[in-house]
Amino acid sequence: MIAIMDCNNFYVSCERSFNPGLENRPVIVLSNNDGCVIARSNEAKDIGVKMGTPYHEINELIDSAQIQVFSSNYVLYGDMSSRVMAILARFVETIEVYSIDEAFLDLSREPDPEAFCRNLRETISQWTRIPVSFGIAPTKTLAKVANKLAKKDPSTGGVLALRHADQIRDALMAFPIGDLWGIGYRFESMLKRNEIKTAWELSQTDEDWINERMTVNGLRLVYELRGIPVKLLELEPAKKKNICVAPSFGVGVPDLARLRMALATYLARASEKLRKQESAATSITVFVHTNRFKKNAKHYYNSRTVILPHPSSSNTELLKYASAALDEIFQFGYEYQKLGIFLNDLVPDDHRQINLFTELPDEKLAALSKAVDGINRQFGRDKVRLAAQGYDRTWPMKQKWLSRCYTTRWKDILVTKG
Amino acid sequence: MINQFHLQDRLSPESFYKAKVGKRLPIPFFESKVAAGFPSPAENHIEKVCDLNELCITDKEATYFVRVGGDSMSGDRIEPGDVLIVDCTREHVEGKVVVVWLNGDHAVKRMQRLKEMVVLHSSNPKYAPIFVHPGDDFRLFGVVTHVIQKLA
Repeated sequence: MIAIMDCNNFYVSCERSFNPGLENRPVIVLSNNDGCVIARSNEAKDIGVKMGTPYHEINELIDSAQIQVFSSNYVLYGDMSSRVMAILARFVETIEVYSIDEAFLDLSREPDPEAFCRNLRETISQWTRIPVSFGIAPTKTLAKVANKLAKKDPSTGGVLALRHADQIRDALMAFPIGDLWGIGYRFESMLKRNEIKTAWELSQTDEDWINERMTVNGLRLVYELRGIPVKLLELEPAKKKNICVAPSFGVGVPDLARLRMALATYLARASEKLRKQESAATSITVFVHTNRFKKNAKHYYNSRTVILPHPSSSNTELLKYASAALDEIFQFGYEYQKLGIFLNDLVPDDHRQINLFTELPDEKLAALSKAVDGINRQFGRDKVRLAAQGYDRTWPMKQKWLSRCYTTRWKDILVTKG
Repeated sequence: MINQFHLQDRLSPESFYKAKVGKRLPIPFFESKVAAGFPSPAENHIEKVCDLNELCITDKEATYFVRVGGDSMSGDRIEPGDVLIVDCTREHVEGKVVVVWLNGDHAVKRMQRLKEMVVLHSSNPKYAPIFVHPGDDFRLFGVVTHVIQKLA
């Protein structure tokens, strides 16, 4: 049996964990720069706050329904996530941390997985005050189905096991195809056009038909729905294939000088991630755009990709090419809202391509970047930096409603009254 | 003969691995010059360095730090500004110093159960006991296991 644990409305639950006064009230958490809604309490869902709604569109609702608003506090959410995962790892031998708030558990050796998960749920709740749900089934996909049903139906107490064929059939017959794990909007409409509306109907569909239209991934999904495990627990986290850093600016930035500083700063962040997983990038993409939602303003979007002469992990080298790309796409006369970089086609950093006409990467530069990472890890982010990163912080994030970092900063810990 | 032996004993190319020297692991090195005298009597008694975390924290996933905001527990030498180490794994809390949430605030008190009722005692005689009534927004956060107090 495989179980998936999923923290209920995780970001909201983290805020409530240290502020129980938020319980039973509509609470939302906003994305970076307080842009749009990325997490909602059930109460906020009930009054119609949709995922991804821009903040400025629900101003009035927030006032009238007294919705509690928070900026995303990733420091807090990250620490609470690692606590939850550590608790799971303490009681379960094999776990795959799937995302910040989800993990698959191998419960094949557990005689009573359901009772086991109920206990785990109690423990996590007492130790972290985070409510979680468990779905238990023979495959990952069915566990996801069970988890969704457990959340929907309060009488399950947050734990639902789909063990027997008839249980699984009943659950799939009532399960809309679009809610399945791995079915995107495109496949949903394609399947519906072909009269396949429930997970059960999909599981009974001819394999060749699926393979033709949804490739091998669709086929895997069908097998999983039939109770044959093909998606196994991934215990080694896969290295990222590309890395993106693209936070929005809190204010419109019109000038190239400050965009260059942002570029250097974001690139420092991205290349640090790159070196941490011991990869090198083969190409780099830089893009900029203005605020699309701003009315009565000129809009502009552009991007440029540079293919590097050799895979590189050196901050200085990457910046050289990225700056050239930025210079090319920069247009005077716009208020830029976002700049982003992608490091693409990552390869292992000891990968060498023999090429007669291009020079090899400068080993010294790569070593220098690694040394800088070491210093910054010890003394704090950006203590040693490229001059190009500058000290100007005119693109700080908007985080108007940031809660305290209760678990990671001494000045932010809980304070008792009286 | 020697040649033959050599051939049989050859390592296959698959047995060679590139040494990875990028990462360094600290390996403690203890030297004792056995030949020149007797071994150091301390050699068999090497232990790791004392760690305050180990003394104060049993379950780090369930442990939180909380700062004391008032003087209601000064009878227990818990003073404003002190940092409490709060363990959320403990369930039996009768008579223990605990951090609770009561009607909108966190508080540190000594907790006593009287049948259906909970009484929160302060140890500073200035403060009266608080009786938690049904309908109050009350929850137990965790049990205070240590107090960190700065003396100088």
